[in-house]
Amino acid sequence: MSKKKRSLTTALLLMLAMSLVLSACGGGKSQSSEGTAEKPVELIWYTIGTPQKDVDKVMAEVSKYTAEKIGVAVKMKMIDWGDYSQKLQVMTASGEPVDIMFTSSWAFDYVQNARKGAFMQVDDLLKEHGQDIIKTLDPAFLEGSKVDGHNYGIPANKELPAQEVWRFNKQYLDKYNLDMNSVTTLESLEPLLKTIKEKEPNIYPFALDKNQMPYVPYDYVIEKLPMAVKLDTQDYKVVNILETPEMIQALKTMHKYYKAGYIPTEAATLDSMTDVQSSGRWFADRATTQPFATNLWSASYGYPVVSTPASQATIYNWSVMGSMQAISANSKYPEKAMEFLNLLNTDPVLRNMVDSGIEGVHYKKVSDNVMENLDESKNYDMPTFSLGNVMLTYLNTTDPANKWEEFKKFNDTGVPAPLLGFNFDTSKVTTEIASVQNVREEYWAALMTGTVDPDTYLARANEKFKAAGLDKIMAEAQRQVDEWRAANK
Amino acid sequence: MGALGRFFKDINRNKAMLIMVLPATLWFIFFSYLPMAGMVIAFKEYRYSRDGFLASIIESKWVGLQNFKFLFSTNDAYIITRNTVVYNIFFIVIGLVLAVAMAIILAELANKRLAKVYQTGMFLPYFLSWVIVGYFVFSFLSLDRGVVNQITGWFGIDPINWYSDPTYWPIIIVVVFLWKSVGYNSVIYLAAIMGIDKSLYEAAMIDGANKWQQIRNITIPMLTPLITILTLLAIGKIFYADFGLFYQVPRDSGTLYSVTNVIDTYVYRGLKSTGEIGMSTAAGLYQSLIGFILVITSNGIVRKFNKDNALF
Repeated sequence: MSKKKRSLTTALLLMLAMSLVLSACGGGKSQSSEGTAEKPVELIWYTIGTPQKDVDKVMAEVSKYTAEKIGVAVKMKMIDWGDYSQKLQVMTASGEPVDIMFTSSWAFDYVQNARKGAFMQVDDLLKEHGQDIIKTLDPAFLEGSKVDGHNYGIPANKELPAQEVWRFNKQYLDKYNLDMNSVTTLESLEPLLKTIKEKEPNIYPFALDKNQMPYVPYDYVIEKLPMAVKLDTQDYKVVNILETPEMIQALKTMHKYYKAGYIPTEAATLDSMTDVQSSGRWFADRATTQPFATNLWSASYGYPVVSTPASQATIYNWSVMGSMQAISANSKYPEKAMEFLNLLNTDPVLRNMVDSGIEGVHYKKVSDNVMENLDESKNYDMPTFSLGNVMLTYLNTTDPANKWEEFKKFNDTGVPAPLLGFNFDTSKVTTEIASVQNVREEYWAALMTGTVDPDTYLARANEKFKAAGLDKIMAEAQRQVDEWRAANK
Repeated sequence: MGALGRFFKDINRNKAMLIMVLPATLWFIFFSYLPMAGMVIAFKEYRYSRDGFLASIIESKWVGLQNFKFLFSTNDAYIITRNTVVYNIFFIVIGLVLAVAMAIILAELANKRLAKVYQTGMFLPYFLSWVIVGYFVFSFLSLDRGVVNQITGWFGIDPINWYSDPTYWPIIIVVVFLWKSVGYNSVIYLAAIMGIDKSLYEAAMIDGANKWQQIRNITIPMLTPLITILTLLAIGKIFYADFGLFYQVPRDSGTLYSVTNVIDTYVYRGLKSTGEIGMSTAAGLYQSLIGFILVITSNGIVRKFNKDNALF
């Protein structure tokens, strides 16, 4: 009898499973005959940043505007900085309905996810519904964000190269009469750090967390994996970054600083420096800049920050892909999504509504392209760079009038990195990459923050990297780089 | 008809019981049995399809045992298996001895009010989340502000960078685990001791048995069935590490991985950094498989010695 009961249960179970499968398959694609001002289609848009209280309120206004223009209503969902990659990873893997999503080289990795099929290929959509984007964007953006020859996302028009700077908390520079222009290299920072360490025991002389690594003049094949090509390379040889004299030197210096107490003792396990920055208890750090970045930093921290260059302005793959919007592979309305992105990147009214909120509520206009935040703006404080063309946004009253001209100039000065436009296809070495990534998790942060002695740990790390198959990945990368060079001569 | 009729009659007769087990049964069906179908992902190169999750699974191509290769290509599989199992063995053995000892001591304390205070004090850590425990430990072990380094500093000992030196972590992990869990387990044993017939002790006392003899010959034998069941259950989970303990307490410090990386943290990190769902599923499947084998073997061993104490 119990056997019969069991078989019945099995049958029930099977039926349940079947019905689940069928219902999941049944939810097919509906045809988009709607999409007019009266009956707009709703686009679901995922963006990065701390969720804001007034998002729905602002999006209601945005939807009114876009319904009239292109028959689209927008529902924006924000996911906080630290969670974005993981949540989007799970959402795309499980097939949640998404139309447009933020992607980049540093959050929800663009190249990797394009290859896995998370995004819709937009070559044709761009030509049909996004001509204005093509006209507005610096061509280097669309060219540099191609994956295997196709575009999968719309880069935001912003600064193109990346330039590293040393940043200083100005009050301490002034207090001890230190000259930041004497700082050109990591090593030349030492006398300043020493002074601060002696005179101000309660602040971090050199603020860094586990995500930081010393700047070396190399172009990484994959971000944060130890293979790179030298910036001024002639032969495009892929080398292990941990075996280059520059990196070894930098790591030794970092360890010296760590031992001297210039670096936070917990740097290798610190997720971020946000608390230290908002309380102003730091003296120096390194950051990626853009024109007038010091204004932005000073405004957001609430105290003056100054900077001096630490590297050349270089156009990397990762800087080109620093902020993009992609259309999800499962979007029901890809044409409408592209029309919306087209409008977002070219229409100042829409762009500023998305960026600053409702005029008269969140901001007021001072003149034609200058605005001032009102008190309510604290409920709608969006990261400007992550929402499309930044050069359409209104200036703040503190911004210089020539801000966007300076951006264009900055873009023109950028020198292309050797691997600009090259994307490593990892499909043949996925096993090795997974293993190497595990090794990296083990050693990277401790080495890069100077927590451990490179004399012993570098050899250990390299040995484990080799055992995990780094050589095989490098050989494959070299082969692809050579092929790519031959094809692009 | 006969069979079906009997089946419904059967259901009718056991209505109340069946309704009682229904919630748990549904829970197991939805959260344990249905997801088991996801095992196939371990043998696929998971790629997204525009038609949703199930379509993605179906359309992804089969890759055989490819996904398992990364586990065994380095000696990671060995390290995480060793860490998981050896830590759990220590937890089970030391945890058992301490919990039973504590329970007996609490039961023997003459001052019952004081016993309650001790009991509550020991029980409290069980309710703390690992994140909070992680910060407790950090306040002890921080390099420049930690209690331990300051005290050793008074004796002129150089500060130890606890979070980048794996030497001491096996002990730290075990101590932290015991601190958090012993109180809870000792309460279970204490309840069992309270249930022991008092007349047994009275008879022993009349015969002139001292405290130690009473404990050895009455308390411990009476606790043996409970000890066996709890230990068996713990062995069943020997392949499952406490994620919070191994992730939050060492602050995810890379240099400590050789002694803190367990299967659960490994799977989590793998999924987080590479996003390769196939490989994470493969590691999870490996964990379940070995865990299954362990439960079956340990249960078999117990059956051999004492059939009544076995789980099935």
